[in-house]
Amino acid sequence: MASEKTASLAPRTAKDAKKSDDSLRLLPWLFLAPSLAIYSVVVVYPMIYSAWLSLFRWDGVAPIKIFVGLDNYGILLTQNDVFWIALRNNAIWLVAALLLPTSIGLGLAILLNSRFRGSHIFRSVFYFPSVLSLAVVGLIWTWIYHPDLGLLNQALTASGLQSLTRNWLSDPNIALYPVIIAATWNAVGLPMLLFLAGLQTIPEELHEAAKVEGAGPVRRFLYVTFPLLRETTLIVLAITAINALKAYDIIYAMTNGGPANSTQLLSTWMYFLTYNYNQVGLGTAIAVVLFLLTLIFAIPYIRFMTRKT
Amino acid sequence: MSQPPAPNSSAAGKTTKVALFYLALILATLLWFTPVITLVLTALKDAGDFAVNGAFSLPKFIRWANFSEAWETGVKNYFWNSVIVTGFKVPIGIALESMAAFALTHMHFKWANRIFTYILIGLIVPVQMTLVPLTLLMNALNLIDTLTGLTILYIGFGVPFGVLVMRGFFRTLPTAIIEAARIDGCSWFRIFYRIALPLALPAVISLCILDGVATWNEFILAQIFLRSDELRTLPLGLVQFSTQFSTQYDQLAAAVLIAVVPVVIVFLFFQRYFVAGMGGAVK
Repeated sequence: MASEKTASLAPRTAKDAKKSDDSLRLLPWLFLAPSLAIYSVVVVYPMIYSAWLSLFRWDGVAPIKIFVGLDNYGILLTQNDVFWIALRNNAIWLVAALLLPTSIGLGLAILLNSRFRGSHIFRSVFYFPSVLSLAVVGLIWTWIYHPDLGLLNQALTASGLQSLTRNWLSDPNIALYPVIIAATWNAVGLPMLLFLAGLQTIPEELHEAAKVEGAGPVRRFLYVTFPLLRETTLIVLAITAINALKAYDIIYAMTNGGPANSTQLLSTWMYFLTYNYNQVGLGTAIAVVLFLLTLIFAIPYIRFMTRKT
Repeated sequence: MSQPPAPNSSAAGKTTKVALFYLALILATLLWFTPVITLVLTALKDAGDFAVNGAFSLPKFIRWANFSEAWETGVKNYFWNSVIVTGFKVPIGIALESMAAFALTHMHFKWANRIFTYILIGLIVPVQMTLVPLTLLMNALNLIDTLTGLTILYIGFGVPFGVLVMRGFFRTLPTAIIEAARIDGCSWFRIFYRIALPLALPAVISLCILDGVATWNEFILAQIFLRSDELRTLPLGLVQFSTQFSTQYDQLAAAVLIAVVPVVIVFLFFQRYFVAGMGGAVK
């Protein structure tokens, strides 16, 4: 069976392939073994085990785990207020991530796609924050938001807008938004790069043709560029959403979930419950919820990535 | 009506337009770099100067001692730990990942698509989903609080992205080359090692860089699995540094700058590989 398939795939080598057929069947596994082994042990097995652990009440240390079925999920939904705060914050974060870095990235990509002197320098400029770690980004922006010494309040005061100055990261009503701005600064680079790559696949002649037909820049964007960027846009949105749900370091560096848990995300609240409060069952249940949310965006993405083979 | 631009539009008008365009871009650049400028200025100035004049002013004098003090206060350790982890993770990871990607693209492997999908799951899974079992596993293996343990985790978590990028490249490699080598009686391992891998050099460099930067910047696994201060990697060490010395902005800024400089250097020299690598990841 297998030998016939191989033969039909590569008729020229059929004769030679026959003798090494058995090794041919095993050899790919040999090439894959190291990667698959370490990946399965480090990523896949823990994932499945986490889902299983979310069905137990356990403090992480005691020898006995108590099976409680879906109770942990029930507790989260009905008794854990911070879970709802975190869920709401994740939703806000997700919407912001789908709107801000993507549209800024698209705008920059269109601007910098045209070849003018120095365009590649400006590409580097706007990509630069993306190479910094989110912990570093968080630290830098924490100083910008510092109530007295921070640049933001100083700039507001200097321009006569003193009434707008805030204790940005200490006010539970607004603290999430400054963090989102800092995260956006870091997140613009990737959509910009992907859109630039997408724009480069659009033949110049199409634009020329539209120009000749009398289409202005806005119409050219709407009817030529944007439809041809559809595929890129879908990838960008999926990757941005998946990354947004992974946000963790920047919260940890800037607010540590505070003040009064107002900036907790599911990812940070999972850490708190598991490692600070020893509620392993609840913590893993949150991880599962986070994973399910990710799947909404990931399934179309994975379908797309595996489709073209 | 106005398309194409009237040929007689004055040259002066055009120059002004170009000048305004560049002016706008430069202003945008300055605004975009404000956080970085703030960081550099703070790192260069004396703490007293900072307390009086704030972050965004030229230093009265440049205080290089901030860097040596930060380095001696612990950044030295963090820095070398990051170098060790990144230095082992990246080459080992790429060796494993490119072998896997080669098998998935050129070895007539009928499970290729299913295995690739299985590997892609790792790209989307939130790391939180793995933390508790990994803690138990690492505890059992006595690998908690060791750089070895952290490196192993990084290699495992790096597999999906690495396979994705390398697979993207190997797919563009003409089958004819591989077939020709097969007919000449070349073993698969030799084909991989002597033909495919050298041809994949641009992809390997891209992956080296993207992976190197990602490893250098990783936070959460380091936070969970490193416990003692002298083993911390840079991002973790810096956040720790900031909570411990929350008022010494000058030294903290110097520490952050030390952490950022290697990344900036890599970025400046290998920019085009960032683009190539990301391109490979969505191909």
